[in-house]
Amino acid sequence: MNQNRYLYWMFLMNSLLNILNFVPRELLDARFKGAQTSILVATVLGTVFLSVFTLLIAKFPGKGIQDILETALPKGVIIPLMIMFSSLWCVAGLITILSFVDITLRFVSPDTGPHLVILSFLVLVCFCARMDSLSVLYGMEMMLAIILPLIVYAIVKALVNPDFSWDSVLQIVTYSAHAPDWKSIAAATFSFSGYFNMVVFNRVLPKIKMKHSWIFAVNGLAVLLLTFYVPIGYFGTIGVERHVYTWFSTADSIRINTFIVERMLFVFYFAYLTLSLVSVTVHWHVGKELLTGLFRSRKQAKARTKLWRDLSALALFSGITIAFMGLDQYQLNQFGVVFLYARWAGELFMIMLLFYCYAVAYRRRNA
Amino acid sequence: MPAQQKPDEVTVQGIKEKLDNFADLENRELTAASGTGRLLFIKSITDPQIINRSIIAVFYEMNDPAAFAEYLAHYPGSKAVEDGKQAMDLMLGGYACVEVEGRLIFFDALKAETSGVSETVTESITQGPSDALTENLAVNLNLIRRRYQSAELKMESMLLGNISRTKAAILYDDSRVNHQVLEELRQRLQTLRIDMLQASGELEKYISSDKIRIFPKTIVTERPDRVVFNLAEGKIAILLDTTGFAMILPVIFNDFFVAMDDKIQLPFVGRFLKLLRIMGVAMTLWLPALYVAFTSYNPEIIRVQIALLIAGSRATVPYPSFVEVLLMLIMMEFLTEASLRLPRAIGPTATTVGGLILGQAATAAGLVGNIMIILVSVVAISNFMIPLNMMSFSIRVLKYLFVMAAAAVGLVGVVVCLVGFTMYLCSQRSFGQPYFKMFVLDSLGASDSKKGGGS
Repeated sequence: MNQNRYLYWMFLMNSLLNILNFVPRELLDARFKGAQTSILVATVLGTVFLSVFTLLIAKFPGKGIQDILETALPKGVIIPLMIMFSSLWCVAGLITILSFVDITLRFVSPDTGPHLVILSFLVLVCFCARMDSLSVLYGMEMMLAIILPLIVYAIVKALVNPDFSWDSVLQIVTYSAHAPDWKSIAAATFSFSGYFNMVVFNRVLPKIKMKHSWIFAVNGLAVLLLTFYVPIGYFGTIGVERHVYTWFSTADSIRINTFIVERMLFVFYFAYLTLSLVSVTVHWHVGKELLTGLFRSRKQAKARTKLWRDLSALALFSGITIAFMGLDQYQLNQFGVVFLYARWAGELFMIMLLFYCYAVAYRRRNA
Repeated sequence: MPAQQKPDEVTVQGIKEKLDNFADLENRELTAASGTGRLLFIKSITDPQIINRSIIAVFYEMNDPAAFAEYLAHYPGSKAVEDGKQAMDLMLGGYACVEVEGRLIFFDALKAETSGVSETVTESITQGPSDALTENLAVNLNLIRRRYQSAELKMESMLLGNISRTKAAILYDDSRVNHQVLEELRQRLQTLRIDMLQASGELEKYISSDKIRIFPKTIVTERPDRVVFNLAEGKIAILLDTTGFAMILPVIFNDFFVAMDDKIQLPFVGRFLKLLRIMGVAMTLWLPALYVAFTSYNPEIIRVQIALLIAGSRATVPYPSFVEVLLMLIMMEFLTEASLRLPRAIGPTATTVGGLILGQAATAAGLVGNIMIILVSVVAISNFMIPLNMMSFSIRVLKYLFVMAAAAVGLVGVVVCLVGFTMYLCSQRSFGQPYFKMFVLDSLGASDSKKGGGS
């Protein structure tokens, strides 16, 4: 149980973070079509992906994805694969950072320049992502412990609000008999893809076992349903489509009567800023490990060369992020949606690769 | 007497084996014309005068081993033992073991060192023992061994420093210590090349591996009960002669928030006190930074009444909020430092002049807001709630980092700093052991396996 909890934290982090990565946008666009059935299908698919992946990677205890692929594939294939996967993680962090910079400027500090904000985020993330994998996991757990109560408070407060329109929610429920569509499914499975970080963290968590997969299913489903229904309860069935960061507008509709901070928005903002910084740290740590893994030599590298490698990988990520700052809100949204699909395809591809490696290892053992 | 016949299982050899690695174990042979005897005692906890006068001198005066044995057996305070465990208890309790004529007799020679042991100064508590470690290594060992009477408490001694030749003692509980850490420590101490060593904190600097150290990685304490408490948790204590402080390692972040009277209080009171300390750290780190963020960047976050109140109190202040905060914080640091160095007699003057008059005058002159004065006092007070000085000083410096971040980017800066602070703590290791993580969750899964262990 002791190590399995990290798998759960990774899952939970991604699951809560879906609000930033345009998942509610996609689902709410399809609210009169197949969004609700898509959520159900995504829950099943997501849990299956998660379980299969964890089972497969547990067959290679203590190995990162590169070590695993090296057992079955030639070097010429691995290099493009690694670059592809690390760019996937780079983009995951990039989208979180960019949408959070946008949120910060829109909701909290309109008079701070975007460059100053993004610079402070990047400095922090590069500093943290350089740490060793175990430290990143410890930090992630600690930060989640601090902010989870806040998020639970925000959700409870949102649901018990007398102005919450359950009628709108019920009305949307009447549209649940539509067939699911791929776009919504691909978006909703993002909630489950936290396990994907295991491609690197498997090195330091050799004793991971897939147990109680129903917890992941129930938890993921609950988060997705909340993501979907709560904004509808606040803005109505039609008004909900007028917001870009639906959840932040929702949080801004809630008032805390008895605290020195009156608007729920800021509690929520604090929690999500922390969460997204930690998540970008984790994602870029994985991306960096995948990228620098390519330059691994057989002999132990000196601390100094390792530092330079790490820093240049992270500088590359930061550079790409800054280059993407030119995107406007619409383009960023489109980009985020494309990423959601690409990520899902990547997951499927990774599982197939792992399966192939396992088959090779199995055949070798029995031959 | 048959009761004083040597039982089969208790032998001098057996005791010696159990007490191996006891650098302070003394093993003497008494030889006279008429026969020989053997004397075994732990030097640090026995009184050499008693041993000289009542054992060695008498042995040679009598010059008759059989009569000497009878003399010892009838001496008040001498004991015969049934089993090895009792023998060990007596040895560790300050008894000398005499083997003569095939009999094994334990003779009370406890040295209860009391003179020179003064009260704790830097870590005072309300209830509980108030004796502090002294500058004398032997006295310190006595204070610790008296509290920790177990054969598992091993001691290794060495000399550190080419010129100072400071006597150092490494203490650990053999059955609980992490041997990997112990090995690493021995290695680091052996490769130490220094001339002078005078304080425990100095030693930390030499044996730690990282160049930049923001948080203390070892506890430096003057309380023998804290040393004993940590020894029982499997930690290693290093005592130095000539300094009244012991060093404990490896430590975790939470260790710095434990006061020794938490255990004396009712459990829920103890938890509450610990919570208070953690809140104190949060306050002292965040309050100045949040003040800057709320006044200069995001006044809309707090309730409008509070925002207006702060703005009102700042109406006459002629510079931005972070200058105001830095000014007052630095002033407070001056006051703290000055009152620390002042002689006792004029100490109160500094506090009166600095705290009362200066604070009053500064607000009356409109240089700082009223709320700022309250805030600075809260920061100063909550900073000193941390029981261990080293940590409290680290936190004291770190709050400026938060203020700077808040001055640069407002609330975002404070949150970024908080995440960086936590992640940095998580990346730290104290002698290879994690420094900061959710230790609570670790022990949940492992159930009782950790709590066991012999008593």
